[in-house]
Amino acid sequence: MGFEYHQPSTTAEALELVARFPDAEIIAGGTDLMVRLNKTRRVPPALISLRRVQELTHIENGSGLRIGAAVPLRDVATHPAVAAGFPALVDAIRVFGSPQIRNMATLAGNLCNASPGADCAPPLLIYDALVELRSAAGVRELTIEDFILGPGATALEAGEIVTAIRVPPPPPAARSIYLRKGRVQMDLAITGVAARLEMDGATCGAVRIAAGAVAPVPRRLPRTESVVAGAAAGAETWARARAEAQHEISPISDVRASEQYRRHLTGVLVERSLARLASTNGGGT
Amino acid sequence: MTDLLHIGRDVPRPDGADKVGGKALYIHDITRPGMLYGAIKFSEHAHARIVRIDTSRAQRLPGVRAVITGDDVPEVRFGFMRDNLALKKGKVRQFRDEIAAVAAIDPDIAKEAVDLIDVEYEPLPGLFTTADALADGAALIHETDPTGRPVTSNLVPAACSHRSGDLEAGKRASRFVAEGHYTVPRIQQASLGTAGCIAEFDLNGNLTVTAKTQIPFLAQRDFTNALRALGIKDKNVRVVVPAVGGAFGSGLDTHAYEYISILLAWHTGKPVKILYDRYEEFAYLSPRQSAELFIRQGCDENGKLTFREIEVTQDNGAYVSWGATYPNVMLVAATSLHRVPNVYFNATIVYTNNTYCQAMRGYGNPEVTWGIETNLEELAEKAGIDALEMRLLNCNQPGDVTPMGLNLQSCGLRECLEGTAEALDWDRTRSVSRRPGRGVGMAALINVGGGGKIYRSDGSGIILKLDDFGNVNVSYGGVEMGQGLHSALSLMVAEAVGVLPERVIINQTDTATAPWDVGTHASRGAFMAGNAARIAGARLRERIFALAEQVYPGEVERNLAALGEGEGLDEFDFRSVTRDGFDLRNGWLLCKDAGDEPWLRVELGRFLRAAHFAKEGGTGTMFTEEAFYEPPTDLPDWSAGYGNMSAAYTFGVQGVEVEVDEDTGEVTILRMVAVTDGGRVLSRQAAEGQLYGGIVQGVGYALYEEVHSSEGRILNPGFTDYKIPTAADIAFPIELQWVETNDPEGPFGAKGLGEAGIVPTAPAIANAIYDAVGVRIRDLPITPEKVVQALAAKVGE
Repeated sequence: MGFEYHQPSTTAEALELVARFPDAEIIAGGTDLMVRLNKTRRVPPALISLRRVQELTHIENGSGLRIGAAVPLRDVATHPAVAAGFPALVDAIRVFGSPQIRNMATLAGNLCNASPGADCAPPLLIYDALVELRSAAGVRELTIEDFILGPGATALEAGEIVTAIRVPPPPPAARSIYLRKGRVQMDLAITGVAARLEMDGATCGAVRIAAGAVAPVPRRLPRTESVVAGAAAGAETWARARAEAQHEISPISDVRASEQYRRHLTGVLVERSLARLASTNGGGT
Repeated sequence: MTDLLHIGRDVPRPDGADKVGGKALYIHDITRPGMLYGAIKFSEHAHARIVRIDTSRAQRLPGVRAVITGDDVPEVRFGFMRDNLALKKGKVRQFRDEIAAVAAIDPDIAKEAVDLIDVEYEPLPGLFTTADALADGAALIHETDPTGRPVTSNLVPAACSHRSGDLEAGKRASRFVAEGHYTVPRIQQASLGTAGCIAEFDLNGNLTVTAKTQIPFLAQRDFTNALRALGIKDKNVRVVVPAVGGAFGSGLDTHAYEYISILLAWHTGKPVKILYDRYEEFAYLSPRQSAELFIRQGCDENGKLTFREIEVTQDNGAYVSWGATYPNVMLVAATSLHRVPNVYFNATIVYTNNTYCQAMRGYGNPEVTWGIETNLEELAEKAGIDALEMRLLNCNQPGDVTPMGLNLQSCGLRECLEGTAEALDWDRTRSVSRRPGRGVGMAALINVGGGGKIYRSDGSGIILKLDDFGNVNVSYGGVEMGQGLHSALSLMVAEAVGVLPERVIINQTDTATAPWDVGTHASRGAFMAGNAARIAGARLRERIFALAEQVYPGEVERNLAALGEGEGLDEFDFRSVTRDGFDLRNGWLLCKDAGDEPWLRVELGRFLRAAHFAKEGGTGTMFTEEAFYEPPTDLPDWSAGYGNMSAAYTFGVQGVEVEVDEDTGEVTILRMVAVTDGGRVLSRQAAEGQLYGGIVQGVGYALYEEVHSSEGRILNPGFTDYKIPTAADIAFPIELQWVETNDPEGPFGAKGLGEAGIVPTAPAIANAIYDAVGVRIRDLPITPEKVVQALAAKVGE
C-alpha cells in the first residue's frame, strides 16, 4: 500500500526522477495533494518532493522576482520586495487558508492545483507573471493564461516540473490590490478580484483587472479594463466597471454561492478595488 | 445557603489538563488485543431495490476476516420506532443506507474491501421534500410498520399538538396580527471527535461496547435487544464511554455502525472497531432536522399577546430517531415563552428519502424560538411598540403555570431583558440611525432546566464511595462530553459531602459500575447528578456523624497526645458530642459548636481508617452511599401537549449589535451580550464555556451552516464547504451576565445550561439586521446573498 518518497536535492535529480516515474506526483507543501490523495485513496507509484531542492527554495530579486517552486507562501508574503512591489499578492496570501497552510503551501502548487478560485492566480495575472517549467528537454515559460487550462488542468507535460514563478518589475506608479470574499474568514473564494491601476492625473492610465472563481479558470477582465483605461477616475467610472464586470464573467452556482451572487459580488469588488486604488490613501502600495 | 464553600467558584476543569495534554483516551486512541477494523458499504442511491450484492471479491482480499450483508446475519432492528435495520435488506431508503460490512486486520484493507463489494440496484423515484412525500399517490418509503402492518402514508406516527384557551376568541381580541413562514435547514453537530465504537465479546458471550454515546444505559438496553435478535439470551451487555470530543445530541440514539460492529465481533470472535472519519461523519451520521414553521401571533392595542398559532413540518428523512420528538420540546417555547393565552401548536413529521435526522443541542427549541422571536418583532412593529417593551409587557413571572402546565418556580426573564437592554444601551441604539447599516436586536429564551421528561424515567443514580484517604469516588451514568459536567459535579459532590473538590474523583462512565441514568441531554446532566449527589452526600454525612459519636473522642485524644495541651479543653466536652453536633468541611470532621482549634479537628481520611480498621471488637465500616433522583415532573400527554415536563426552567436573553454591508450583504457582528437565568452558577468556567460555546454554535446556525443536498445526496460533506465559525470569525466581544435565581428544585439552586446558549442567537441576529437595514430574513442561514436579495426586493417595493 505504500509508495516511494523521493527527496532530490537538485533540479537535475528531480527531473531524472520525474522521467523515471512518469505517474509520480510532485509534492511541495502537499496541502492540496495530500487532501486529494486521501480523498481518492489513490496511491501514486512515487512522491517526488521539491522541498529539499536548493535552487527552488529561495526568492531571487533582480529584474523582477523569481520565486522558487518550493518557497512557502508565508516566505513570499513576508519578503520585502514582494511587499514593496506586489501588494495584491500579499493580500491574497493573507487570506489564503490558515497560518499552518501558509507555512507549507507554495505559489507554484497553488497554480498547479489549477482551481478556478486559486487565490494567488488573479494577482499573478495582473502582474504578468510567468510560470517557469523545466524538463530534460530544457526550459520554457508560460503565462498564467497559457498554464492553467481548466479546472484541475494545466499545461504541464510529462517529464516537466514547475521550477519557479517569475514576476516582472511593476511600473513605478502602479498600485494594486486583491479583494476576496468567502463565507467565513477561513474559506475558499466565493470570488476574488485583483486590480492594478496607474493614474495619469485625474484620469485612469493602464489598468489590469483579474478575477478568480468566476469562470473555469482565473482570468483577466479585458472589457472591464477597457471601461476604466483612459476614463476619468471617479464613482461613475467605477460603477460602469462594476456593471461591465458583472456581465463579463461566467460564474457557476454551487454550494458556496449562486451564479447571480457571484456576478453581483464580483462587480462590487471591482468597484471597491478601483475606488481604493484611486483614492489618495491608496489600497496596496 | 450563604455558607457554600465551592459552588460558584472559578476553578479549572478537572478533565482539562489530560485533554489538552493528549492523555485523555478518546475512541480514536483505544485498541484491543487482536482487534479488527470494520468498514461499511453504504448505498449509492437514495431510494432503490437491492437486486444483488456480490461480496466475493471483497471476501478474497487478503487481510479480510468477515464480509456480511443483511442476508448473512439475523435481522437486527433498531431505532426510536424500530423502523431501521443494522444492515438493510431488499431496499435502500437514503443515500447512506448500510448494505454490507467488512472486518479486516487494518482500516485500509477494510475500506479497500468495501470498494470491492458490488451492488446491483433497481432505482426507485425518490421523495426529497415534505410536500412531495405528502402528495396524493406518493410512493411509500416504508410500505409497512415494523410489525409488518401496511401503512398508508409517509407521515411519521409521532403526533404532537396542543390547544389551550380559545384560539378564535384570541384572534377576535387581537388588534394586530403578524404571520409568516420561517425555515431552518439541516445542520451538523460538527463534533470535534468523530463517531466510533469497539464491540467485543468475552468467551462467556458477554458483550462490552466502548461507545461514543450520551445514553450508556439506553444503549445497553438497545444492544441487549440486538443480542436477543442474534439468539443470545441472558448475557450481560456493558457499555463503557471513552473520553468524548463533543456530541451535541449525536449520541442520543444508537446507530447502525454500533450494531454492525457488534455483528462483526460476533461473526469473527474478535473485538471490532468502527471509526468514522470526517467525511463519514458528515455523510453517514444524522444531522439536525430541517423544519418549516408557520407562525401567527396577535396582540391587543396595548401589545398584550392574545394568541399564538404554530404549524411545524419536519423533514424526518428515511428513519425515525429520538430527534423526531423535537416537537415535544418545541412545545415548551411554543406555549410558554412569554405569557400568551390561547395557543395552538401542531407538528407534522414526514418521512422522505433524505438523510435521516437526529437530535442536536436545543432539540427543537432553537427552531421554534427562531420563528417566535422573529415573528414577535414583526408583531411589535405592526403594533408600533418597542420590541423590548412588548417582551417586558408579556414577561413570564416566577410562580406562573403556563398553558402547557409548566410550573415556573424560578424565573429571571425580566432581569435578563433589562440586563440585555442596558448592556446594549437599547434606548439609545435601537431604531436609531447612528451609522448606516448598524442595528441592535435581541431574542429571549425559555428552555428546560431540570431535565425534560420524554421517557418513562428522567432519573439519575449516583454512587459516592469514600476510600481510606478521604477521597470520594463518584460513579455516575451521565457523560462528560466536553460540556463541563465533571467541573460542576466535582464542586457539588465536594459541597454535598464536605470535602475539597480536588478530592472528588469521577470514574469513567461505565454501565457496570454506575447506577442507571437516562442519558446526558436536555441540559440535565449537572441538574440530575447534583440532586442525586446532594441526597447521597447527606446520607454519607449522616452515617459519618453517627459513627463519630464513638470514633471522634479517641481521635481527639490522639490529637491531644500529639499536640500537648488543647486550648479551651476545659470548656468543651469532646467526649459527649452527639451526631447533630458534628460538621464535615473541606475534609475535616469538626464540632459545630466548638472553635476551630487544631486539637478539635479530625482529618476525614484518619476518621475513615479508624472506622475501617476498627479495633477492639469493632466490625469495620466502609462508607458508600447511592441515591437515585427522579425529578418531580410529568411525562406529558403529547396528543394534548400538556404536562410539567421539567423540574425547572432556564431563561435568557441575547442581544447583538451588527453592521450590515448593504453592497455585499455581509453581516458583521460587533458585539454580543447574553444574560442568563440558569439559577445559581455552579462552576463559573463551565457555565461560561456552555454559553460561549452555545453562542458560537448559534452564530454558525444563524449565518453559515447548512447541509446542502441534491436528491438526497449530501453536497458538502466536510469543513471545506460546511462552514462553522472559527476563532477568526468570532472577532467580537461576548459579554456574559448571570441572573442567579435560586431555584427551589435545583441542586444548590442551579438550573441546566447546556442548550440555552444556542437557542436565541439566530433570532437576535435577524432582529438586529432588521434594525440595521430594514430587511427581514425568515430562512436560515442568513447568507449575504439572502440579505442582498432582500435589500433589492425592498428597493423594488
